[in-house]
Amino acid sequence: MIELQQLSKQYSDKVAVDGISAVIRPGVVTGFLGPNGAGKSTTMRMILGLDRPTSGTALVNGRPYAKTSAPLAEVGALLDAKGVDGGRSARNHLLWLGATVGVGARRVEEVLGTVGLTEVAGKPAGKFSLGMGQRLGIAAALLADPGVLILDEPVNGLDLDGIQWIRALLTELAEGGRTVLLSSHLMSEMQLVADHLLVIGQGRILADTSMDDFIADSSDGLVIVVSPDTNTLAPLLTGTGATVTSPEIGRLEVRGLTADAIGDAAALHKLRLHSLIPVEASLETAYLNLTRDSVEYTGANPHNTHSTTTTDARRAA
Amino acid sequence: MTNPTTTVTAPTSRTADIAASRRRTASATTARRQGLGRAIASEWIKIRTLRSTWIGMALVVLVLVGFGGLAAATSTGSVAGPSDGGGGTDPLSVVLSGANFAVLVISVLGCLAGAREYSSRMIAATVAAVPRRWQVVVSKSIVFGAVTAVTAVTGVLGAFWLGMAILAGGDAATVALTDDDTLRELAGMAGYITAIGTFGLGLGILLRSIAGSIGAVVAGVMILPPLAGALLPASWDEILQYLPSSAGAAFTTVQGAGREVLSPGAGAAVLITWVIAALGGAIISISHRDA
Ligand SMILES: Nc1ncnc2c1ncn2[C@@H]1O[C@H](COP(=O)(O)OP(=O)(O)O)[C@@H](O)[C@H]1O
Ligand SMILES: [Mg+2]
Repeated sequence: MIELQQLSKQYSDKVAVDGISAVIRPGVVTGFLGPNGAGKSTTMRMILGLDRPTSGTALVNGRPYAKTSAPLAEVGALLDAKGVDGGRSARNHLLWLGATVGVGARRVEEVLGTVGLTEVAGKPAGKFSLGMGQRLGIAAALLADPGVLILDEPVNGLDLDGIQWIRALLTELAEGGRTVLLSSHLMSEMQLVADHLLVIGQGRILADTSMDDFIADSSDGLVIVVSPDTNTLAPLLTGTGATVTSPEIGRLEVRGLTADAIGDAAALHKLRLHSLIPVEASLETAYLNLTRDSVEYTGANPHNTHSTTTTDARRAA
Repeated sequence: MTNPTTTVTAPTSRTADIAASRRRTASATTARRQGLGRAIASEWIKIRTLRSTWIGMALVVLVLVGFGGLAAATSTGSVAGPSDGGGGTDPLSVVLSGANFAVLVISVLGCLAGAREYSSRMIAATVAAVPRRWQVVVSKSIVFGAVTAVTAVTGVLGAFWLGMAILAGGDAATVALTDDDTLRELAGMAGYITAIGTFGLGLGILLRSIAGSIGAVVAGVMILPPLAGALLPASWDEILQYLPSSAGAAFTTVQGAGREVLSPGAGAAVLITWVIAALGGAIISISHRDA
């Protein structure tokens, strides 16, 4: 687990992270979501001790990362997939990394297999495509089987297959009890992977919520249901407090319930569903509204302090 | 919309979460404690898995042996030289004529060994894996210093044997390995090459720039000292003898800056001080600056 306490980072001309407090728990995939420049990478670098916080602390399993005895086994990180020496093969890159905690060739072959790079492991990493580089970065993160994984925009450069693969991998890792934090600037990516959301804008936390709550609370949580059993289904859903309209026969527009909940309810009553479509644009819009408000607010008041953070975020909410 | 205020965790659940995280880690992995020994093992893998290391080190041996052999051949008259021979009458300085080029090459290799990870940005992975960052500097200098020392000894001995054989074949004066001071002079030259390379490594980490550190070492060790010696009044010689190259000149055949040199022991001590200062500066810098 990762604990951030009033974590701040000021560069000479810019406050990149502004008093972040949050707890990132084991067992779930936490999505760190925010527009470019929001401070995601800086926060992750501070967790790993790469950048020194201006103030505040970041703890990994109760300690600063730099104080852990086997760092690579404590946190596995993918921060910068291009940050490898292009002249060294993928296999040798993993070998030097593993050597810092006594992890050797057998485990290196294992993770190369896991990320699907066995065939090209002898090639210089400089010849890798962006997607292969991301896979190498993920292999490096998994190498010492750490309890905490920190992945900065890991989906960048992956094709659809790759995205699905990483989604399955992260879910499995979280289910194994690991703490998984991954960042993205795209809600669409987060929707696929994250169980919990940490939304950041202008260096401040704007929302710390489960994905389900975020979806449910999104102003317009619309789900379109196509079913031959709408006559039975509609009152059933209305009974649970959802708002249901029927624009045409065999088709419902449901607000106030997640697609999961609707599907479960239908299954429970043995009703047929032909389509169950969460209208995702609303989620994207909710996210954009959340972050845009923060940008505008802080843009007008560049010198506001921590104490205004909550008001700022409430205003956004 | 969600109320975004941060949830404060109950202490019991926090402890449980930490325990859960730890338990997982402990059961599933074969990872060991990270220490200086493992940092050294890691740097050894890094240095030997770059082809440029082998090419560069081979080049050091090649220039030592090649220029030494060439100078020996020139001085016996079997090869026509540009002037009247390599290094004058001293057979040992003749066969070590390649030293200046070797120092140039090792300077570049040292700076590369120090700054290369900054230009590839791999340094982030390195200091994340070895967060007690002084170990990064110490392990890099131990590994690079050891590889360089082996290379320099090989090159110096190779130059000695080939050069002396050529001199003997040309009926010129030679010295034997067992003669007084011969071994000491050869070891001194190997030590000087190693020291300058390691000095470059320190500057590479300190300056975080391949070009910048190469420029600094080449200027500071090879270009400026002879200029300073030639241009500054003699009163400066007292100070100039503390430059790295002058300190090296105290116990090797390389050229110092001024007309005065320290005693061999003092020269070695001054040179080692330069190396330690560069590495110490590198440790302070890497420990305090963001990676
Ligand atoms: N080393 C640095 N020096 C100065 N400013 C920086 C540095 N790193 C990041 N920043 C600035 O801090 C802000 C946050 O950056 P970053 O953490 O990379 O955001 P994100 O990862 O969310 O896109 C940006 O405005 C960026 O320009
Ligand atoms: Mg980023």
